[in-house]
Amino acid sequence: MSLLQQLAGRVRREPRGTVRVVDPNPLNWLYITYNTVEEAVRVTKGGKVRPAAMSRYRWRDDRTLEITVRDGERFADGTRLDADSVHQAFDEQIRWAAPHPPGTHFNIDRRTRAEVVDDRTVRLHLPEVDGLTLGKLRATHVMSERFWRDLGFGYARDQSGEGHW
Amino acid sequence: MVHTEPVITDGNDRTWLQTEDRSPTVRLRANPHYWDRLRGPHLQEVEFRNDLTREQAIDLVCDTVGKVDIVTEVPPSAADRVLRSRHAQLVAVDAVRALAGVIDREAEGLPLHDLRARRALNLAIDRDGLIRDAFGGRARPLAGLTPPTPLTTMHRAPDRLRPYPHDPDKAAQLWRAAGGTARPLRLAAMDAWADVAHLVAKQLGTALNLQVEVSVLRGEQQREARRRLAAKEPRDWDVLLLEQGSQTADVPPLELHRAFAGRSGEFRAGPVDPRFERLFGYLVAQTSQAKQILAANRIDRYVTRQALALFLAAPQVLYAVNRDVKFVPYATSFELADTSVSSGHWSVR
Repeated sequence: MSLLQQLAGRVRREPRGTVRVVDPNPLNWLYITYNTVEEAVRVTKGGKVRPAAMSRYRWRDDRTLEITVRDGERFADGTRLDADSVHQAFDEQIRWAAPHPPGTHFNIDRRTRAEVVDDRTVRLHLPEVDGLTLGKLRATHVMSERFWRDLGFGYARDQSGEGHW
Repeated sequence: MVHTEPVITDGNDRTWLQTEDRSPTVRLRANPHYWDRLRGPHLQEVEFRNDLTREQAIDLVCDTVGKVDIVTEVPPSAADRVLRSRHAQLVAVDAVRALAGVIDREAEGLPLHDLRARRALNLAIDRDGLIRDAFGGRARPLAGLTPPTPLTTMHRAPDRLRPYPHDPDKAAQLWRAAGGTARPLRLAAMDAWADVAHLVAKQLGTALNLQVEVSVLRGEQQREARRRLAAKEPRDWDVLLLEQGSQTADVPPLELHRAFAGRSGEFRAGPVDPRFERLFGYLVAQTSQAKQILAANRIDRYVTRQALALFLAAPQVLYAVNRDVKFVPYATSFELADTSVSSGHWSVR
Protein backbone atom coordinates (compact mmCIF):
# COMPACT_ATOMS: atom_id res chain seq x y z
CA MET A 1 0.00 0.00 0.00
CA SER A 2 1.57 3.25 -1.08
CA LEU A 3 1.57 6.38 1.01
CA LEU A 4 -0.33 8.07 -1.78
CA GLN A 5 -3.03 5.41 -1.63
CA GLN A 6 -3.30 5.78 2.10
CA LEU A 7 -3.54 9.54 1.83
CA ALA A 8 -6.22 9.20 -0.79
CA GLY A 9 -8.08 6.83 1.49
CA ARG A 10 -8.57 4.37 -1.33
CA VAL A 11 -7.07 1.48 0.58
CA ARG A 12 -8.26 0.92 4.09
CA ARG A 13 -5.99 -0.66 6.64
CA GLU A 14 -7.83 -3.31 8.55
CA PRO A 15 -8.76 -2.20 12.05
CA ARG A 16 -6.58 -4.02 14.53
CA GLY A 17 -6.01 -4.25 18.24
CA THR A 18 -8.04 -3.64 21.35
CA VAL A 19 -7.72 -0.80 23.81
CA ARG A 20 -9.19 -0.75 27.29
CA VAL A 21 -10.40 2.61 28.48
CA VAL A 22 -11.34 4.04 31.85
CA ASP A 23 -13.23 7.27 31.37
CA PRO A 24 -14.58 8.80 34.59
CA ASN A 25 -15.99 11.80 32.76
CA PRO A 26 -19.75 12.11 33.47
CA LEU A 27 -20.23 12.69 29.75
CA ASN A 28 -18.82 9.25 28.95
CA TRP A 29 -22.24 8.18 27.64
CA LEU A 30 -22.10 11.08 25.18
CA TYR A 31 -18.58 10.23 24.06
CA ILE A 32 -19.64 6.64 23.42
CA THR A 33 -22.51 8.06 21.39
CA TYR A 34 -20.16 10.25 19.37
CA ASN A 35 -17.97 7.21 18.74
CA THR A 36 -20.82 5.06 17.46
CA VAL A 37 -23.43 7.14 15.63
CA GLU A 38 -23.61 9.11 12.42
CA GLU A 39 -24.13 12.85 12.54
CA ALA A 40 -24.63 15.49 9.92
CA VAL A 41 -21.57 17.24 11.35
CA ARG A 42 -18.74 16.29 13.63
CA VAL A 43 -15.73 18.20 14.94
CA THR A 44 -12.07 18.18 14.04
CA LYS A 45 -9.37 17.54 16.63
CA GLY A 46 -9.32 21.24 17.35
CA GLY A 47 -13.09 21.35 17.79
CA LYS A 48 -14.15 22.91 14.50
CA VAL A 49 -17.48 21.78 13.09
CA ARG A 50 -17.16 20.10 9.71
CA PRO A 51 -19.51 18.12 7.49
CA ALA A 52 -19.75 14.38 8.22
CA ALA A 53 -22.86 12.51 7.09
CA MET A 54 -23.66 15.58 5.04
CA SER A 55 -21.24 16.41 2.28
CA ARG A 56 -22.13 20.09 2.20
CA TYR A 57 -24.61 22.68 3.37
CA ARG A 58 -25.75 26.13 2.42
CA TRP A 59 -28.06 28.77 3.77
CA ARG A 60 -30.68 29.31 1.05
CA ASP A 61 -31.86 32.28 3.07
CA ASP A 62 -31.39 33.18 6.72
CA ARG A 63 -34.13 30.74 7.78
CA THR A 64 -33.53 27.81 5.45
CA LEU A 65 -30.55 25.50 5.89
CA GLU A 66 -30.08 23.05 3.04
CA ILE A 67 -28.17 19.86 3.80
CA THR A 68 -26.80 17.53 1.13
CA VAL A 69 -26.29 13.99 2.39
CA ARG A 70 -23.13 12.15 1.38
CA ASP A 71 -23.64 9.86 -1.60
CA GLY A 72 -23.69 6.12 -1.03
CA GLU A 73 -23.30 6.24 2.73
CA ARG A 74 -24.50 3.31 4.83
CA PHE A 75 -25.09 2.69 8.51
CA ALA A 76 -23.14 0.07 10.39
CA ASP A 77 -26.05 -2.35 9.88
CA GLY A 78 -25.70 -2.00 6.12
CA THR A 79 -28.84 0.05 5.48
CA ARG A 80 -28.71 3.27 3.50
CA LEU A 81 -28.20 6.66 5.06
CA ASP A 82 -30.14 9.15 2.94
CA ALA A 83 -32.25 12.27 3.22
CA ASP A 84 -35.03 10.31 4.92
CA SER A 85 -32.56 9.25 7.64
CA VAL A 86 -31.75 12.89 8.42
CA HIS A 87 -35.44 13.77 8.33
CA GLN A 88 -36.25 10.97 10.76
CA ALA A 89 -33.41 11.95 13.10
CA PHE A 90 -34.72 15.48 13.11
CA ASP A 91 -38.33 14.43 13.74
CA GLU A 92 -37.33 12.05 16.55
CA GLN A 93 -35.38 14.83 18.22
CA ILE A 94 -37.86 17.62 17.79
CA ARG A 95 -40.71 15.80 19.52
CA TRP A 96 -38.80 15.67 22.75
CA ALA A 97 -39.25 18.53 25.18
CA ALA A 98 -35.49 18.67 25.66
CA PRO A 99 -33.58 16.02 23.77
CA HIS A 100 -30.06 16.82 24.97
CA PRO A 101 -29.26 15.94 28.59
CA PRO A 102 -26.14 18.17 28.83
CA GLY A 103 -28.34 21.25 28.51
CA THR A 104 -30.62 23.19 26.25
CA HIS A 105 -27.93 24.92 24.21
CA PHE A 106 -28.18 22.38 21.35
CA ASN A 107 -31.96 22.60 21.09
CA ILE A 108 -33.22 23.56 17.66
CA ASP A 109 -36.47 25.53 17.70
CA ARG A 110 -39.29 22.99 17.91
CA ARG A 111 -41.28 24.89 15.31
CA THR A 112 -38.62 23.99 12.73
CA ARG A 113 -39.83 21.82 9.84
CA ALA A 114 -37.65 19.37 7.92
CA GLU A 115 -38.40 18.90 4.22
CA VAL A 116 -36.99 16.08 2.09
CA VAL A 117 -36.30 17.61 -1.32
CA ASP A 118 -34.81 14.52 -2.94
CA ASP A 119 -32.86 11.41 -2.01
CA ARG A 120 -29.89 13.41 -0.79
CA THR A 121 -31.27 16.82 0.09
CA VAL A 122 -33.00 17.99 3.25
CA ARG A 123 -34.04 21.53 4.05
CA LEU A 124 -34.57 22.78 7.58
CA HIS A 125 -37.12 25.58 7.63
CA LEU A 126 -36.51 27.59 10.79
CA PRO A 127 -39.18 29.87 12.21
CA GLU A 128 -36.52 32.45 13.10
CA VAL A 129 -32.97 32.96 12.04
CA ASP A 130 -30.57 30.79 14.06
CA GLY A 131 -27.03 30.91 12.76
CA LEU A 132 -25.94 28.45 15.43
CA THR A 133 -27.98 25.64 13.89
CA LEU A 134 -24.99 24.13 12.14
CA GLY A 135 -23.17 23.56 15.45
CA LYS A 136 -26.37 22.29 17.03
CA LEU A 137 -26.49 19.53 14.42
CA ARG A 138 -23.56 18.05 16.36
CA ALA A 139 -26.20 16.70 18.70
CA THR A 140 -28.60 15.48 16.03
CA HIS A 141 -27.70 11.81 15.89
CA VAL A 142 -28.57 10.20 12.57
CA MET A 143 -29.42 6.56 13.13
CA SER A 144 -30.76 3.63 11.18
CA GLU A 145 -34.42 2.70 10.96
CA ARG A 146 -33.71 -0.33 13.13
CA PHE A 147 -32.22 1.83 15.88
CA TRP A 148 -35.24 4.11 16.05
CA ARG A 149 -37.58 1.11 15.98
CA ASP A 150 -35.84 -0.95 18.68
CA LEU A 151 -34.10 1.58 20.93
CA GLY A 152 -34.61 5.21 20.00
CA PHE A 153 -32.62 6.52 22.98
CA GLY A 154 -35.17 4.84 25.21
CA TYR A 155 -38.13 6.61 23.68
CA ALA A 156 -39.63 3.41 22.33
CA ARG A 157 -39.09 1.68 25.65
CA ASP A 158 -40.31 4.41 27.99
CA GLN A 159 -42.88 6.13 25.79
CA SER A 160 -41.50 9.30 27.26
CA GLY A 161 -39.88 12.33 25.79
CA GLU A 162 -37.86 13.06 28.87
CA GLY A 163 -34.54 12.05 27.45
CA HIS A 164 -33.94 8.68 29.08
CA TRP A 165 -31.68 6.19 27.46
CA MET B 1 -28.20 3.93 31.33
CA VAL B 2 -28.55 7.66 31.78
CA HIS B 3 -31.42 9.00 33.85
CA THR B 4 -32.36 12.61 33.54
CA GLU B 5 -34.33 15.06 35.62
CA PRO B 6 -35.72 18.20 34.03
CA VAL B 7 -35.15 21.49 35.81
CA ILE B 8 -36.91 24.63 34.65
CA THR B 9 -34.36 27.42 34.31
CA ASP B 10 -36.53 30.18 32.96
CA GLY B 11 -40.07 30.14 31.62
CA ASN B 12 -40.45 26.97 29.60
CA ASP B 13 -36.74 26.53 29.12
CA ARG B 14 -35.19 23.74 31.06
CA THR B 15 -31.97 21.92 31.65
CA TRP B 16 -31.28 18.38 32.72
CA LEU B 17 -29.52 16.73 35.59
CA GLN B 18 -28.04 13.37 34.82
CA THR B 19 -27.31 10.31 36.83
CA GLU B 20 -25.50 7.36 35.39
CA ASP B 21 -25.91 3.67 35.93
CA ARG B 22 -22.94 2.14 34.13
CA SER B 23 -22.55 -1.51 33.31
CA PRO B 24 -19.15 -2.98 34.30
CA THR B 25 -17.96 -2.92 30.69
CA VAL B 26 -19.05 -1.56 27.34
CA ARG B 27 -17.51 -2.93 24.15
CA LEU B 28 -17.44 -1.15 20.81
CA ARG B 29 -16.53 -3.09 17.68
CA ALA B 30 -15.15 -1.44 14.57
CA ASN B 31 -17.39 -0.81 11.57
CA PRO B 32 -14.96 -1.77 8.80
CA HIS B 33 -17.20 -0.13 6.18
CA TYR B 34 -17.22 3.32 7.76
CA TRP B 35 -17.20 5.89 4.97
CA ASP B 36 -14.44 8.17 6.27
CA ARG B 37 -11.49 6.00 5.32
CA LEU B 38 -8.88 8.52 6.35
CA ARG B 39 -10.29 8.98 9.81
CA GLY B 40 -10.75 5.37 10.83
CA PRO B 41 -11.56 3.25 12.64
CA HIS B 42 -8.05 1.96 13.22
CA LEU B 43 -8.91 -0.17 16.25
CA GLN B 44 -10.78 -3.46 16.10
CA GLU B 45 -12.31 -3.10 19.53
CA VAL B 46 -12.61 -0.61 22.37
CA GLU B 47 -13.57 -1.79 25.81
CA PHE B 48 -14.73 0.76 28.36
CA ARG B 49 -14.06 -0.49 31.86
CA ASN B 50 -16.35 0.91 34.55
CA ASP B 51 -15.26 -1.49 37.28
CA LEU B 52 -12.25 0.58 38.35
CA THR B 53 -11.78 3.83 40.19
CA ARG B 54 -9.69 6.45 38.48
CA GLU B 55 -6.87 5.88 40.96
CA GLN B 56 -6.89 2.12 40.33
CA ALA B 57 -6.91 2.75 36.61
CA ILE B 58 -3.92 5.09 36.78
CA ASP B 59 -2.00 2.48 38.75
CA LEU B 60 -2.84 -0.19 36.18
CA VAL B 61 -1.93 1.86 33.10
CA CYS B 62 1.33 2.91 34.73
CA ASP B 63 2.42 -0.42 36.17
CA THR B 64 0.89 -3.13 33.99
CA VAL B 65 0.24 -4.03 30.37
CA GLY B 66 -3.08 -5.22 28.97
CA LYS B 67 -5.41 -4.20 31.79
CA VAL B 68 -5.92 -0.52 31.02
CA ASP B 69 -4.66 1.41 27.97
CA ILE B 70 -6.17 4.86 28.35
CA VAL B 71 -7.29 6.76 31.45
CA THR B 72 -9.03 10.06 30.84
CA GLU B 73 -9.33 13.05 33.17
CA VAL B 74 -6.01 12.45 34.92
CA PRO B 75 -5.72 15.05 37.68
CA PRO B 76 -2.66 17.33 37.50
CA SER B 77 -1.52 15.90 40.82
CA ALA B 78 -1.05 12.49 39.14
CA ALA B 79 0.79 13.82 36.08
CA ASP B 80 4.26 13.17 37.47
CA ARG B 81 3.26 9.65 38.46
CA VAL B 82 2.38 8.97 34.80
CA LEU B 83 5.52 10.65 33.50
CA ARG B 84 7.69 8.46 35.73
CA SER B 85 5.89 5.26 34.82
CA ARG B 86 7.39 2.46 32.77
CA HIS B 87 4.39 1.69 30.59
CA ALA B 88 2.41 4.91 30.22
CA GLN B 89 2.84 8.26 28.54
CA LEU B 90 1.14 11.51 29.45
CA VAL B 91 -0.93 13.09 26.68
CA ALA B 92 -2.20 16.64 27.19
CA VAL B 93 -4.55 18.77 25.12
CA ASP B 94 -5.53 22.41 25.34
CA ALA B 95 -9.22 21.74 25.74
CA VAL B 96 -12.19 24.02 25.23
CA ARG B 97 -12.95 24.03 28.95
CA ALA B 98 -13.20 26.85 31.44
CA LEU B 99 -12.80 26.64 35.20
CA ALA B 100 -14.58 29.64 36.63
CA GLY B 101 -16.54 30.78 39.61
CA VAL B 102 -20.26 31.43 39.40
CA ILE B 103 -20.81 34.68 41.31
CA ASP B 104 -24.13 34.98 43.10
CA ARG B 105 -25.11 38.52 42.21
CA GLU B 106 -28.06 38.26 44.60
CA ALA B 107 -26.06 37.21 47.65
CA GLU B 108 -27.38 38.82 50.83
CA GLY B 109 -24.84 40.63 52.96
CA LEU B 110 -22.24 40.86 50.20
CA PRO B 111 -22.00 43.53 47.50
CA LEU B 112 -21.70 41.08 44.61
CA HIS B 113 -24.44 42.88 42.70
CA ASP B 114 -21.90 45.71 42.45
CA LEU B 115 -19.53 45.58 39.49
CA ARG B 116 -16.72 46.95 41.67
CA ALA B 117 -16.97 44.00 44.02
CA ARG B 118 -16.95 41.46 41.20
CA ARG B 119 -13.93 43.12 39.65
CA ALA B 120 -12.27 43.10 43.07
CA LEU B 121 -12.66 39.33 43.24
CA ASN B 122 -11.03 38.96 39.83
CA LEU B 123 -8.19 41.37 40.63
CA ALA B 124 -7.45 39.46 43.84
CA ILE B 125 -6.58 36.27 41.96
CA ASP B 126 -2.97 35.43 41.12
CA ARG B 127 -3.70 33.18 38.13
CA ASP B 128 -0.06 32.40 37.39
CA GLY B 129 0.46 31.28 40.97
CA LEU B 130 -2.74 29.30 40.91
CA ILE B 131 -1.74 27.51 37.73
CA ARG B 132 1.71 26.78 39.09
CA ASP B 133 0.53 25.50 42.47
CA ALA B 134 -2.76 23.76 41.64
CA PHE B 135 -2.18 22.59 38.09
CA GLY B 136 1.58 22.04 37.97
CA GLY B 137 1.59 24.52 35.10
CA ARG B 138 -0.87 22.45 33.06
CA ALA B 139 -3.46 25.15 32.51
CA ARG B 140 -3.74 28.59 30.93
CA PRO B 141 -4.99 31.72 32.60
CA LEU B 142 -8.55 32.52 31.67
CA ALA B 143 -9.45 35.88 30.20
CA GLY B 144 -13.18 35.96 29.77
CA LEU B 145 -14.81 32.59 29.25
CA THR B 146 -13.30 31.62 25.90
CA PRO B 147 -10.50 29.15 26.59
CA PRO B 148 -7.34 29.90 24.60
CA THR B 149 -6.91 27.15 22.00
CA PRO B 150 -5.59 27.34 18.44
CA LEU B 151 -9.15 27.40 17.10
CA THR B 152 -10.36 30.15 19.41
CA THR B 153 -7.50 32.49 18.57
CA MET B 154 -9.70 34.42 16.18
CA HIS B 155 -12.51 34.69 18.70
CA ARG B 156 -10.10 36.31 21.11
CA ALA B 157 -8.09 38.35 18.62
CA PRO B 158 -10.06 41.58 18.11
CA ASP B 159 -9.14 43.86 20.99
CA ARG B 160 -7.47 40.82 22.49
CA LEU B 161 -8.63 40.08 25.99
CA ARG B 162 -6.09 39.74 28.74
CA PRO B 163 -6.73 38.13 32.10
CA TYR B 164 -7.48 40.45 34.99
CA PRO B 165 -4.07 41.36 36.43
CA HIS B 166 -3.18 40.33 39.94
CA ASP B 167 -3.57 43.66 41.72
CA PRO B 168 -4.43 43.12 45.40
CA ASP B 169 -4.24 46.82 46.26
CA LYS B 170 -6.71 47.80 43.58
CA ALA B 171 -8.86 44.82 44.55
CA ALA B 172 -9.00 45.92 48.18
CA GLN B 173 -9.81 49.49 47.17
CA LEU B 174 -12.70 48.38 44.93
CA TRP B 175 -14.00 45.95 47.54
CA ARG B 176 -14.10 48.68 50.19
CA ALA B 177 -15.72 51.12 47.75
CA ALA B 178 -18.45 48.57 47.05
CA GLY B 179 -19.20 48.34 50.75
CA GLY B 180 -17.05 45.45 51.88
CA THR B 181 -18.70 42.78 53.95
CA ALA B 182 -19.91 42.07 57.41
CA ARG B 183 -19.82 38.33 56.99
CA PRO B 184 -17.52 35.68 55.51
CA LEU B 185 -17.66 34.89 51.82
CA ARG B 186 -18.84 31.32 51.20
CA LEU B 187 -16.81 29.66 48.48
CA ALA B 188 -18.07 26.29 47.28
CA ALA B 189 -16.37 24.01 44.79
CA MET B 190 -17.02 20.77 43.03
CA ASP B 191 -14.93 17.98 44.49
CA ALA B 192 -12.42 17.91 41.62
CA TRP B 193 -11.45 21.51 42.33
CA ALA B 194 -10.99 21.36 46.10
CA ASP B 195 -7.29 22.28 45.91
CA VAL B 196 -8.07 25.22 43.66
CA ALA B 197 -10.79 26.38 46.04
CA HIS B 198 -8.43 26.49 49.01
CA LEU B 199 -5.84 28.47 47.05
CA VAL B 200 -8.48 30.88 45.73
CA ALA B 201 -9.84 31.32 49.26
CA LYS B 202 -6.38 32.18 50.51
CA GLN B 203 -5.82 34.70 47.74
CA LEU B 204 -9.22 36.36 48.23
CA GLY B 205 -8.77 36.44 51.99
CA THR B 206 -5.34 38.01 51.78
CA ALA B 207 -6.15 40.59 49.13
CA LEU B 208 -9.56 41.67 50.41
CA ASN B 209 -8.92 41.18 54.13
CA LEU B 210 -11.86 38.86 54.07
CA GLN B 211 -12.78 35.66 55.82
CA VAL B 212 -13.54 32.95 53.26
CA GLU B 213 -15.31 29.72 54.19
CA VAL B 214 -14.66 26.85 51.80
CA SER B 215 -17.05 23.98 51.26
CA VAL B 216 -16.28 21.11 48.93
CA LEU B 217 -19.29 19.46 47.30
CA ARG B 218 -19.20 15.71 46.83
CA GLY B 219 -21.51 13.15 45.26
CA GLU B 220 -25.15 14.06 45.69
CA GLN B 221 -24.21 17.51 47.01
CA GLN B 222 -22.88 18.42 43.57
CA ARG B 223 -26.05 17.35 41.86
CA GLU B 224 -28.19 19.23 44.37
CA ALA B 225 -26.09 22.39 43.99
CA ARG B 226 -26.47 22.20 40.22
CA ARG B 227 -30.20 21.61 40.53
CA ARG B 228 -30.76 24.58 42.83
CA LEU B 229 -28.61 26.79 40.65
CA ALA B 230 -30.37 25.75 37.44
CA ALA B 231 -33.79 26.20 39.06
CA LYS B 232 -32.75 29.60 40.44
CA GLU B 233 -33.55 28.52 43.99
CA PRO B 234 -31.82 30.12 47.01
CA ARG B 235 -28.18 29.14 47.26
CA ASP B 236 -25.95 28.49 50.24
CA TRP B 237 -22.78 29.79 48.64
CA ASP B 238 -21.61 33.11 47.21
CA VAL B 239 -19.12 31.81 44.66
CA LEU B 240 -19.26 28.30 43.20
CA LEU B 241 -16.24 26.93 41.31
CA LEU B 242 -17.06 24.59 38.46
CA GLU B 243 -15.78 23.55 35.08
CA GLN B 244 -17.74 23.86 31.88
CA GLY B 245 -16.66 22.43 28.55
CA SER B 246 -17.78 22.89 25.00
CA GLN B 247 -18.59 20.27 22.35
CA THR B 248 -17.46 22.58 19.56
CA ALA B 249 -15.02 25.46 19.33
CA ASP B 250 -16.77 27.43 16.59
CA VAL B 251 -19.00 29.54 18.81
CA PRO B 252 -17.88 29.31 22.46
CA PRO B 253 -20.70 31.51 23.86
CA LEU B 254 -23.26 28.86 22.89
CA GLU B 255 -22.04 26.52 25.62
CA LEU B 256 -19.95 28.71 27.91
CA HIS B 257 -21.05 32.34 28.17
CA ARG B 258 -24.72 31.47 27.83
CA ALA B 259 -24.43 28.93 30.65
CA PHE B 260 -22.91 31.47 33.06
CA ALA B 261 -24.80 34.61 32.06
CA GLY B 262 -27.68 33.78 29.74
CA ARG B 263 -31.39 33.98 30.53
CA SER B 264 -31.73 30.20 30.38
CA GLY B 265 -28.16 29.59 31.49
CA GLU B 266 -27.80 26.70 33.92
CA PHE B 267 -25.24 28.61 35.99
CA ARG B 268 -26.67 32.11 35.95
CA ALA B 269 -26.91 33.32 39.55
CA GLY B 270 -28.48 36.73 39.44
CA PRO B 271 -30.88 38.78 37.41
CA VAL B 272 -31.15 38.43 33.64
CA ASP B 273 -28.76 40.86 31.97
CA PRO B 274 -30.61 42.58 29.09
CA ARG B 275 -27.39 43.75 27.44
CA PHE B 276 -26.04 40.18 27.40
CA GLU B 277 -29.31 38.97 25.91
CA ARG B 278 -29.08 41.54 23.12
CA LEU B 279 -25.49 40.56 22.35
CA PHE B 280 -26.38 36.88 22.34
CA GLY B 281 -29.41 37.54 20.16
CA TYR B 282 -27.17 39.34 17.68
CA LEU B 283 -24.84 36.31 17.64
CA VAL B 284 -27.72 33.93 16.94
CA ALA B 285 -28.85 36.13 14.05
CA GLN B 286 -25.54 35.70 12.19
CA THR B 287 -25.19 32.93 9.61
CA SER B 288 -21.74 34.07 8.49
CA GLN B 289 -18.93 32.41 10.45
CA ALA B 290 -16.82 35.57 10.34
CA LYS B 291 -19.64 37.59 11.85
CA GLN B 292 -20.21 34.92 14.47
CA ILE B 293 -16.58 35.18 15.53
CA LEU B 294 -16.84 38.95 15.91
CA ALA B 295 -20.12 38.62 17.81
CA ALA B 296 -18.60 35.98 20.10
CA ASN B 297 -15.67 38.27 20.78
CA ARG B 298 -18.05 41.09 21.71
CA ILE B 299 -19.84 38.81 24.16
CA ASP B 300 -16.57 37.68 25.72
CA ARG B 301 -15.44 41.25 26.22
CA TYR B 302 -18.78 42.22 27.77
CA VAL B 303 -18.82 39.27 30.18
CA THR B 304 -15.26 40.11 31.19
CA ARG B 305 -15.84 43.83 31.67
CA GLN B 306 -18.92 43.12 33.76
CA ALA B 307 -17.02 40.44 35.70
CA LEU B 308 -19.99 38.13 35.35
CA ALA B 309 -17.84 35.25 36.65
CA LEU B 310 -14.65 34.68 38.56
CA PHE B 311 -12.33 33.83 35.69
CA LEU B 312 -9.67 31.36 36.76
CA ALA B 313 -8.06 28.95 34.29
CA ALA B 314 -8.48 26.76 31.24
CA PRO B 315 -7.11 23.41 32.44
CA GLN B 316 -5.43 21.06 30.01
CA VAL B 317 -7.11 17.69 29.82
CA LEU B 318 -4.62 14.96 30.69
CA TYR B 319 -4.63 11.32 29.62
CA ALA B 320 -2.50 8.43 30.79
CA VAL B 321 -1.93 6.27 27.73
CA ASN B 322 -0.11 3.01 27.17
CA ARG B 323 3.11 3.68 25.24
CA ASP B 324 2.05 1.45 22.36
CA VAL B 325 -1.21 3.33 21.81
CA LYS B 326 -1.18 6.23 19.38
CA PHE B 327 -3.88 8.31 20.96
CA VAL B 328 -5.14 11.46 19.24
CA PRO B 329 -6.75 13.82 21.77
CA TYR B 330 -9.56 16.18 20.79
CA ALA B 331 -10.04 19.65 22.24
CA THR B 332 -13.73 19.09 22.85
CA SER B 333 -14.68 15.47 23.38
CA PHE B 334 -13.21 11.99 23.79
CA GLU B 335 -12.95 10.39 20.36
CA LEU B 336 -11.21 7.19 19.35
CA ALA B 337 -11.69 6.95 15.58
CA ASP B 338 -8.15 8.25 14.91
CA THR B 339 -6.49 6.19 17.63
CA SER B 340 -4.40 3.15 16.70
CA VAL B 341 -1.93 0.74 18.26
CA SER B 342 1.64 -0.01 17.25
CA SER B 343 2.94 -3.49 16.54
CA GLY B 344 4.30 -3.74 20.07
CA HIS B 345 0.87 -3.42 21.66
CA TRP B 346 -0.24 -6.36 23.82
CA SER B 347 -3.38 -6.95 21.74
CA VAL B 348 -1.53 -7.49 18.43
CA ARG B 349 1.72 -9.09 19.52
